[in-house]
Amino acid sequence: MGTPAPRPDVRLDDGPMQSVTCTACAAQVLARKSSWDQTSVQWTEQALAACNERRQTLPPQERPNRNAFLGCSALKESIREAAVRGSLEIQDQDPLKTNPEGHQ
Amino acid sequence: MTEDTAVRRIEVDAAPTRFARGWHCLGLERDLSDGKPHQINAFGQKLVVFAGEDGAVNVLDAYCRHMGGDLSQGTVKGNEIACPFHDWRWGGDGRCKQIPYARRVPLRARTAAWPTMIQDGMVFVWNDPEGNPPPADVTIPRIPQVDSDRWTDWLWYETVIEGANCREIVDNVVDMAHFFYIHYSFPTYFKNVFEGTSAYQYMNGTGREDIRAARGGSSPVVLGTTSVAAYHGPSFMIDEVTYHYEDMDVDTILINCHYPIDSNSFVLQYGIIVEKKEGVSDDEAEQLAATTGKFIKYGFEQDVAIWKSKTKIDNPLLCEEDGPVYQLRRWYEQFYVDAAEVTPEMTDRFEFEIDTTRPNEAWRTEVEANLAARAATS
Repeated sequence: MGTPAPRPDVRLDDGPMQSVTCTACAAQVLARKSSWDQTSVQWTEQALAACNERRQTLPPQERPNRNAFLGCSALKESIREAAVRGSLEIQDQDPLKTNPEGHQ
Repeated sequence: MTEDTAVRRIEVDAAPTRFARGWHCLGLERDLSDGKPHQINAFGQKLVVFAGEDGAVNVLDAYCRHMGGDLSQGTVKGNEIACPFHDWRWGGDGRCKQIPYARRVPLRARTAAWPTMIQDGMVFVWNDPEGNPPPADVTIPRIPQVDSDRWTDWLWYETVIEGANCREIVDNVVDMAHFFYIHYSFPTYFKNVFEGTSAYQYMNGTGREDIRAARGGSSPVVLGTTSVAAYHGPSFMIDEVTYHYEDMDVDTILINCHYPIDSNSFVLQYGIIVEKKEGVSDDEAEQLAATTGKFIKYGFEQDVAIWKSKTKIDNPLLCEEDGPVYQLRRWYEQFYVDAAEVTPEMTDRFEFEIDTTRPNEAWRTEVEANLAARAATS
């Protein structure tokens, strides 16, 4: 075909995606946080199939873009916990501005 | 040389040699099904779009297989398009139906017919370099609001962009910062999700006081916007934007779509419908649609100015406050390879939420500086 392979994100040179396991369904994803409020999540077909929230069927919306899966709250929490524990590295060295235990 | 002193080289890969696989919107049914042939230059070819007496909208290769006449200069007769050269009649299925001066139609009198779809007032054509029909699961979401009396009719715009490949416009879906610098908006929340053939952008923004002041400030104050935009396939974006005013919210649905003319030009189209809220008259809703259209047109002109002078760059240098440019391009690549070559990494779900803290600090400072500069000169 001669189509060049997609290139990896240059930012991964400074810090790669790391594995995170969801505490709710054990789905494994790759995640990266450049700061407390930035998150990248790479799912796989397997992880998506394991996700409980993904399987929940919501009433269909009549708006064209509102039927998409927004994301998993349990996974979001798992990624945050991994960051607080230190098992998921945060690129930015700034300390967490709020008390993680008190943050909802 | 260390990494700090080495000059970073811009890398430019070969331009794609084919056009994207997928549904492409060619325009509104009301414009294309007027009983006249319409010439559409797309995918490096000349096409003719016409609707016959049966109302079906057809897309054929424009060149007559007889002696090469241009069918888009011909006439619709019954359900067929008649060539202006010798009156050969071609049906929407690509077959020659009749040659008025011949006893019979020769064998092999068949031209290229493109799969079409009419949905929500728009005409779509399926492009596939491999020549396969559209898979049943590759669809464009319905927009039921189009048929509702509570929404305005399509306001539709078309513009030809010369000197740029259509992939430039697709990059916008992840480019948060350009919305501040090019489009005078102020994103406060920004998240992308790519999955399958769709690429979503969730963006909330606040009003720009400096821009409003510069415009004279007579229009109603937009406090902010909530937007959910998504590409469904390579070229068709639906953007649901809610404008938050002081006294109410106004919902709009925007279309931002394109089709390639060739590798260095494309046709950009955009459409708008606006909800007629209680307390908003039909005239006011139409007016709002027109104003929004003007603003979007201005925004695209700003984009075009950048595209025309920029270089293609396949190794963009990104900061952590930029969006997922590489992952978007990886997603977009699926439309340029054979269907069998699409890999999971192109279609697997990927989420990217930007931390807007630092951008918002910088932009607030800039807005205040603009306001102060304006106050000092007035």
